[in-house]
Amino acid sequence: MAKKILLVEDEDIMVDLLQRKLTKEGYEVFVARDGEEGLKKMREMDPKPDLILLDIIMPKMGGFEVMEEMAKDESLKKIPVIVISNSGQPVELDRAKKLGAKDWLIKTEFDPKEVLEKVKKQIG
Amino acid sequence: MEEENQKISLLVEDISLLQNYIEDLFNFLPTPICFISPRKVILEANLAFKEISGYTTEEIIGKSIEEIFKKEEIESLLKEASEKELVKEKETVFITREGKEIPVSLSIKLRKSPEGEALGYFLGFFDLSQIKIVETQLREKIKELEELGEKELVLRIREIAKSKDIERKVEELEKTRKALMNILEDVEEERKKAEEEKSKTLAIIQNFVDGLLVFDKEGKVSLINPQAENFCKLKRKEVIGKSILELSQFPDFKPIAEAVGREMKGIFRKEVPLRKDFILEVTTVPIMREEEKIGTLMILHDVTREKMIERMKTEFVSISAHQLRTPLSAIKWTLKMFLDGDLGELTKEQREFLEKIYQSNERMINLINDLLNVTRIEEGRYLYRPVLADIIQICQSVIDSYKEEIGKKNLKFEFKRPKELPKVRVDIEKISFAIQNLLENAIRYNREGGEIEITLEEKEGKIKFSIRDTGIGIPKDQQHRVFTKFFRAPNAIRMETEGSGLGLFITKNIIEAHGGEIWFESEEGKGTTFYFTLPVASNTNVGTI
Repeated sequence: MAKKILLVEDEDIMVDLLQRKLTKEGYEVFVARDGEEGLKKMREMDPKPDLILLDIIMPKMGGFEVMEEMAKDESLKKIPVIVISNSGQPVELDRAKKLGAKDWLIKTEFDPKEVLEKVKKQIG
Repeated sequence: MEEENQKISLLVEDISLLQNYIEDLFNFLPTPICFISPRKVILEANLAFKEISGYTTEEIIGKSIEEIFKKEEIESLLKEASEKELVKEKETVFITREGKEIPVSLSIKLRKSPEGEALGYFLGFFDLSQIKIVETQLREKIKELEELGEKELVLRIREIAKSKDIERKVEELEKTRKALMNILEDVEEERKKAEEEKSKTLAIIQNFVDGLLVFDKEGKVSLINPQAENFCKLKRKEVIGKSILELSQFPDFKPIAEAVGREMKGIFRKEVPLRKDFILEVTTVPIMREEEKIGTLMILHDVTREKMIERMKTEFVSISAHQLRTPLSAIKWTLKMFLDGDLGELTKEQREFLEKIYQSNERMINLINDLLNVTRIEEGRYLYRPVLADIIQICQSVIDSYKEEIGKKNLKFEFKRPKELPKVRVDIEKISFAIQNLLENAIRYNREGGEIEITLEEKEGKIKFSIRDTGIGIPKDQQHRVFTKFFRAPNAIRMETEGSGLGLFITKNIIEAHGGEIWFESEEGKGTTFYFTLPVASNTNVGTI
């Protein structure tokens, strides 16, 4: 069965590209446009997504908040998260790591091939 | 018959023409076509078929179709055709004589007899190779375009991310700039306030009626106000940065420096006569900041006038007391004459009254004497003539003079002393007065049948005197006032309404003037013990009794 990826990202271009790329590789991609929607989808989905691609800066609720909420939820805290950082500031990445992110992508240095590699590394 | 033969010949011609037509058509058809028997043997194949297969007519006719196509594929397709009668455009693989595999789109039609019997199959296909190539090219082209599109997207994503990042950084800088501006404004305000405070303080200091000096941590002058300059007859620039020691060079500061000492510790207050008719009260106060001493403040307060007033008061008391002495003496002697009977017989009643008046007069005389003593102490005229004396003797004399009083109150008396004690240098009259005062108190405030114990001993190079009584004691909250002028504790007043309250003040002065110390221990209701020490005389000839 295809692995499920939940993409939580507010930028259209990014969603387009990632969705296309990942779907082509055979993953099933779900999309949420902000942290609130993301958490909602995570909780509703059954079975749970195999991987979350999580943007950090989003309206309503940002990536860090989402991770904090996930950590409190037994059903969510085990799902691997790859964060999408805008600029890759060490402060940001450090915090993401502390909150449990498994890997990260940096929009200013973005490379779709890298995305696939990192996704594959988490869920195969 | 001929008609029939003609018909037959015509028919044969027709059939022949038809055959030719079919053959021509068959061989024209650009689509490879063949016809196979129900047993899958090729019975007919057109030119296009032969050309594409590479077989000649002899080779192809009679060949099994399973050699031309992949066996499993053609089998299932033929099966399908036999069921459905027509199979259209199925992709399969055609194998040429050389073994080359060509992708083709194959259609198969079943041929049936009118009775429904399978007669064979038509197979037609067209070569997909070209299409396949174009398909691949197209797919590649699409991939290329997709990749380009992706690259564009990626570039755009990166750009947008970068510009957002810059935006955010600019925002933060702007916020920081605003915060800094606010801080600067606040700092400026605080600075102005501090300036104002400083000006105010400076104005106060400059115009203060007392002289002010501030010494820093190292004991050097950091501030002097005009009044202090005035008092000490010094100018600011002569004084700033100098220590107390250095200032003592100046004649008008010397007395102050001597009084204060080299180091200024704690709170200190002393009157210092600076010049004739000019007395300063010097106070030093440490300036603290959070437990640490950061300097000393010296206040110079002109007390000349106050001192003068005090002196005038003392003088007044002195003069008045002297003036009162004479009439009091006169009254005393007159009364004595009355009581001695020199002025005639007295009735019992008359005697009683006269005795009372005599006692009252005596008390007044004593009070006047005490007052005079006090004024003498205050004027510093309480000089004494010290001589070498035996303290045991002095004590004994005093005790002897009070034997009667002790007896009257039924008091148990004891005088403990060693056989001999080193001599002391004292003013005998004054020391006697001191001992007398203490003994009087011990008797007066004692209970009926109580005890008095006087001890004399030598201790640590001094003579120690103690007198213990079983009297009313001194209440704890009054004890600190015992040696002050005119003090009488409430319980003492209750016991004996008479008493000037000057006795202990004078006694303390006497002892201390001799270089001794005086103190006491007391518990209310139990008793009191007074102690004093006197230094042992050193061996120089001054005079003996």
